[in-house]
Amino acid sequence: MSLTARNSSSLVIDRLCNQTREEGLAVAWLYCDYQAHQEQTVINIMGAIAKQLVGKGGIPKDIREAFQEAKELGGRRPLLPDLMRILRIAIAKLPQVFICIDALDECLPKDLPKPLESLRDIVRESPRTRIFLTGRPHVREAIHRYFTKAVGTPISSNEDDIRNYVVMRLDRDDVPEAMDNSLRAEILRIIPEKISNMYVDISPLSTMYTY
Amino acid sequence: MLYRTISTLNQNFGQNIMAQNIPTRSAIFGDNNAYCGITIGSYSTTIYTSDEDAKIMRWLSPLEPGDRHHTLRTNRFEGIGDWLLETSEFREWRGGEGGADQAVLFCSGDPGVGKTHLK
Repeated sequence: MSLTARNSSSLVIDRLCNQTREEGLAVAWLYCDYQAHQEQTVINIMGAIAKQLVGKGGIPKDIREAFQEAKELGGRRPLLPDLMRILRIAIAKLPQVFICIDALDECLPKDLPKPLESLRDIVRESPRTRIFLTGRPHVREAIHRYFTKAVGTPISSNEDDIRNYVVMRLDRDDVPEAMDNSLRAEILRIIPEKISNMYVDISPLSTMYTY
Repeated sequence: MLYRTISTLNQNFGQNIMAQNIPTRSAIFGDNNAYCGITIGSYSTTIYTSDEDAKIMRWLSPLEPGDRHHTLRTNRFEGIGDWLLETSEFREWRGGEGGADQAVLFCSGDPGVGKTHLK
């Protein structure tokens, strides 16, 4: 298995989480999924991020009060301004916050600007906040509209990754006696090359998401 | 595709549990991050806190991003992709010295095709 954008998100989240205890960092994330369009409204995205950040060190009093008030109003759900206020309160209490949003391209294009705008507002207020985003290359444009200096790294097929994976699988082979050195060498030569050639541009798929 | 479907099912499963609210999940900030690094996430290992905290968490969002993360990290292979964490782009972003200008790191690529091909 090579590194995919989705796996890069889980890898980055794990790396950050491993450092949270010692450095007092806070990490929040969301994996977008095209099968869950309805869930990926800006309210749900920012709500999911808020949920992961508010409880650090106990839920702040003003957030409890906001909840009580909403409850008294018949269980009113928080709207974006409520969530942004809650996020502001939570982030102000934390030394540094990392927000990771995976597969932005799996949001409907019409749903994309609002979360990006909200993230931009967060960064403006807390410049130490770090945002990690993944998505198919075409969302770069939308990101740059809100973060003109966003740094981009392509996650592409990496023959080394594939070779490492094949080595691992060969080492775990449950019929090792059927393997000899030349077959092993051939597998290690051909498979990484073939697999990386399979990583073709998937733009025909991407057009499915263009509305 | 199969992989993605399983992930989605897991996510939905998590939400159903939340909807029924039996039992109530932890409301601590570790809610999702409790899975990080050490624990194999499962409902039985979740730390319970007050009912009100759990209600506040559900009020903020019904989504459980920790469930999805757990599925992904379970299926990830050790060492693969570590090169990303060593790139100067990642290190500089992680270092957080650049202020608002360098707040965003964007990794572009396909979310799942590699996995599907190799299954």
